[in-house]
Order: sequence, then C-alpha cells, then structure tokens
Amino acid sequence: MMECSNTNNNSNCPQSCINSRFDSMIENCCEYAERAREAGKPIIGIMCEYTPRELIMAAGGIPVCLCGGSEEKIAPAENDLPTALCPLIKSTYGYCCTQTNPFLEMSDLLVAETTCDGKKKMYELMARRKDMMVLELPQKPDAPHAMDHWLSELRRFRSFLETRYDRKIADAGIWKAIETMNLERALRRRLAEMNKQTPSVWSGLQLLAYKSIISGIDEDLEEYRRLIACGANAAGSEKQSCVRVLLTGVPTVHGAERVVEIIENAGGAVVCMENCTGIKPLLEDVSMDASDPMEALASKYMHLPCSVMTPNTRRLEILRRLADEYDAECVIELVWQGCLTYDVESYYVRQIAEEMSLPYLKLVTDYSPSDSARIALRVEALMETALRAQA
Amino acid sequence: MITAGIDAGSRAIKIVLFDIQRQTVFATAVCDQGTNQKVRARRLYDNLLRENGLGHKAIRTLVATGYGRHMLDFCDTTVTEISCHAAGVLHHVSDATTVIDIGGQDSKLIRVGADGKVRDFVMNDRCAAGTGRFLEVVSQRLNIPLDALGPAAERSEHPAKISSMCVVFAETEIIGLLAGGQSCENIIAGVQRSIAQRTVAMGGKDIAPPVVFTGGVALISGMKEALERLLELPVNICPAPQFTGALGASILAAKYET
Repeated sequence: MMECSNTNNNSNCPQSCINSRFDSMIENCCEYAERAREAGKPIIGIMCEYTPRELIMAAGGIPVCLCGGSEEKIAPAENDLPTALCPLIKSTYGYCCTQTNPFLEMSDLLVAETTCDGKKKMYELMARRKDMMVLELPQKPDAPHAMDHWLSELRRFRSFLETRYDRKIADAGIWKAIETMNLERALRRRLAEMNKQTPSVWSGLQLLAYKSIISGIDEDLEEYRRLIACGANAAGSEKQSCVRVLLTGVPTVHGAERVVEIIENAGGAVVCMENCTGIKPLLEDVSMDASDPMEALASKYMHLPCSVMTPNTRRLEILRRLADEYDAECVIELVWQGCLTYDVESYYVRQIAEEMSLPYLKLVTDYSPSDSARIALRVEALMETALRAQA
Repeated sequence: MITAGIDAGSRAIKIVLFDIQRQTVFATAVCDQGTNQKVRARRLYDNLLRENGLGHKAIRTLVATGYGRHMLDFCDTTVTEISCHAAGVLHHVSDATTVIDIGGQDSKLIRVGADGKVRDFVMNDRCAAGTGRFLEVVSQRLNIPLDALGPAAERSEHPAKISSMCVVFAETEIIGLLAGGQSCENIIAGVQRSIAQRTVAMGGKDIAPPVVFTGGVALISGMKEALERLLELPVNICPAPQFTGALGASILAAKYET
C-alpha cells in the first residue's frame, strides 16, 4: 500500500542533488565561523526567527542559529530547568551548560526576544554565561503601538551593536544585508515552492537539510541555485501514491527531524512545512521600497506568525493558503511537549483542516524516540484515512 | 474465497478467516502474544488452516494489523488497527458512528463518517492508564482474576476516586486506598470509571451515537456501564470484541490487490 516508503525515493531528482553541500552543513559553518572570527568578526548567537539577522550582518557580525535539536542535551539541562519545559528550550540550554555547542562557545554575544515564557526565563539563565541582548517583542501584532515599540527595540539594538563594536552602522550597510537576506529567502522559497507540483520534487527531509545555521554564505547561495536547477530538470516524473502532507506547528531543528522521517517512512510526502524551519520565515521579504531600512525590518519581522502572538490570525490565513497551493491531502500538526502556545492554537488548526475536509492529526512529543512506534501507527492510520478519502 | 486477518496485539494474537462470498467469519483463533510474536503468529495461523482443512493457497490475501504487524513478514500487507477496528465494527454494526476500542495497551476513539470511512481518531500516547493494562495491574494487586473484576465492581456502592495520570502511580494510589480502608469493590469500580473517563476525555465533546465498544476490555463486565454513565448514551458491545481488529483486517484484505 505504501509505495514510497523510502524517503529518498520521494524525490525524483538525480543523485547529484541528493548529495549536497548541506550534508556537511555543520562542518561548513564551523569553518566559516572560525575564519570570520580570525578576521575579527564577532559571532553572534540567535535563537529565534524574530531576530533581524540583517542588523548583525550590517554590524560586521556573523549571526548563528543556536537552537538545540539533540536529545542528549536534555538531561543536563534538567538540572536547572523543569522537566515539563519544551525540548527545544531544554536542548538549547543543555548545549549551553555542557559547553558543547561550538557556535555558542565562539559567540561573543547572544540576541533573543521575549517570545514564549519558557524561552524568556531560560534566556535569563543563559545570560549567566554569555552577554545577552533581549529584545522586547510585542505580542499583539495588530495593536496600534506594537510596530512603534518593535521599531524602537530594533533601533535600541542597532545602537547597542554600534557601541559594543565601536562602529557606525550606516543605512547603506543595512540595505546591503537586507539584499543578501532577501536573496537567500528568495532562493530557499523557490526551492520549497518546487513542491507545489505533483509529484513533489523534494522530500521534507531534503528541504530540512537544504539550509544553514549561518545565513548569507556565498557557497550556500550558489548551492541553492544548483539545487533549483537540479530540481527543475527532475520535474514531471511519474505519479506516485504518496499522501501530500502539510506539516505545521513547532520547528524541527537540526537533529530533531524524527517526526518528519516517521511521516515519510509511513508513505507521506511532506510537501510543505509551515514552521520556523520550513517556509514560515521565507514567506515575506524585507521591503526594499521603504525609505528607512529599520522600518522595513520591523515590519517584516513583526509579521512572523508565531503562536506567541495573539490573536495569531496570520498563521491561520497562511495555513489555508498553503494547504491550497501545495495541494495538501492532510494536515499534521507537531507540538513539542510543553509548548503551550502551539498546543492551544491547535484548536484553530484542527478547525481549518475540518473546514477544508483535510484529515488532521496532532502529534505531541519531545526529542526522545520512545514513542516513535506509536507516532508511526497514528501517521499510518492518517495516511489510510487520507487515501480512503480520495478513493 | 477466503481472506485472513491477523491482529498481533500487545497481549494476544487473534486470527480471523473470512468468507468473502458469504460475508461471514469462517474460523477464528487466539493465543497469548508470548515473546516471539512472529513464530507464535505463524504457528497459530498454520494450525488454524490445518484444522479447517485449508492449504495456504486457499487464502487469497493475508493482512496483518496490531502493534506487531510489521514483524509478520509472511503477510501480504499491513493495515493499522485503527482502520481495521473500524472495518470490523462496521461489519457487525453498519451504522456505527463512534468506535471505542480499549485493548491491552491502547485505547482509541474512532469516528466513522456516514460513508463508512474513518473520519477522525484519537489514541492514548505515552501512558497506559486508560487501557486494559490498568485492569491487569489492579487484578494482580488485589489478587482477583480479570473475569471476576466485573461482578466485584457491580457490588461497589461508592467507586473510589483514582486520579493518577500514569499506570505506575495509579498502582501506588491503589495501595494508598487499600491502606485507607477502601473496599476492593470500590477500588475496582473506581479503576473502571477512570479508564472510561480517560477514553471519553480523548474524544472531546464530539461523541455521537451509535457508540460501539470493542477490544479485549469490552469483555470485562462493568466497563460498558462505566462508559454509558459518562457518555449518557447507550454503548453497544461489538460481538466477539477481541476479534474486531483481525476481522477488519480480513475484510480489508478482500480489497487488497495482490
């Protein structure tokens, strides 16, 4: 029944794009960061997509994503943090207290936002080891003063960087960084959007792998171009019997891809990921039409539809659109255990799936593989439901 | 034409041979799961065929379900127990809307659409507190056989409150209740109510009749009544509830193209 059980077979592309530069992404980034540091550029750790990487780049820094995807780091984190916290927060912190994330160790500064309560409080503990700049993120995105406040926070961040690194950040420098980030977003977006077609070009696991924890590396941008060309040549292959899955919810950061793997082994093709490791941060560019780059940045990042926002109607609109554009046949929502905001918001996601007559499955789990067989059972049953709905 | 369904569950292996033309069950077999599920399932299947004078070629398709389904490599394909339980129940109760299946380690609530297809399902995840395992624990702890739990629960006047979210802690809670002088009858009735509560809570508000109860736990008296009290709806026990998964597998086998 499940004909595409091997994830690599999900894709019709030649071997040359299955083997990608991104296979050694961590090594590449390590080398890049070391070289940058030797050249006197500060490594600046970020832990959320709300951080405008552009400001760090314009300050001559290298923004590196420090989100933890390793189960191993959870036990050491639980010495300081409650067990009931989400695994992403615990893993990130676990790396910090065991001093085992080379990028965190290299970092001169950490930047974070007031997003969920768990992260906010964890950042306080993390700040004992590294200098930390926390930006106050308004959580009512459409409230009258939300944008003004966010803009003032970004301006505060800009002058903080200017003082700390003793250099003036010119508007022109910010525009240049915006251009780079927009280019990277556009390339990654094109790659992801290739999955709008049936059969899809990439497996979810491939798309997860085709990115980097450091943005704007020239070789990476080149690799995106190569993969796009490669995928375009592979288009139009034979029809498969996979169920097209729209995955939504929490991010599956490097090392925490387990659920995507389970879905694809059970005959699902994860054609679109509406989360922070998927298409969510790529959907909107920073406008190049504005006269003030700070306003342009504030607007783009404020629009990110994270479940910490209330109400988070943007996410629901996007989900409807993506389900349609990617011809999704079911919706799977992933919630990390302890992520209250996504857990509660799933109420609306289920509603949308029902309105669109799409089978829906919510998975609440953490980084431990102990429930993999039980997750697989539910995913397989969802695939059977989706296939029978088509029949 | 005969098809076969094997349900390799967490506690028992069940097999159903199904006569497609007559749409009836041809034969059944059951045994404990043991440690080597694959060998035991194979032996049970071979014996069942032999007892009924059938060769392996007489079986058009063999479908495996249950948590050990992927281990049974002599089967033609696998289908999850969720689809199988729905198909098995619908064979007996064609207008079933809600299927409650409580087995050895799982409890599931399946909603079936008017077209007879699975519309939606929920199941317990990392905890066995709402499952048959809980009844086994209480049976061992109170030294009362499983089949005597029902009659004992019927004698209960005030079911004890069991609030633990975890079967291990629930055992501790039972010890505490015994120490506090609670009667075995009240504890058993309390455990049954707790299993029913957990299962009903999974389904949320949207539980529509007819409700059909299946899985091995449906065989234990008192469970149906515990569910009915919570749902305020009549609950029908599926005939031969232990075999619903295997029956569904054998029915879905007829649709499988070999």
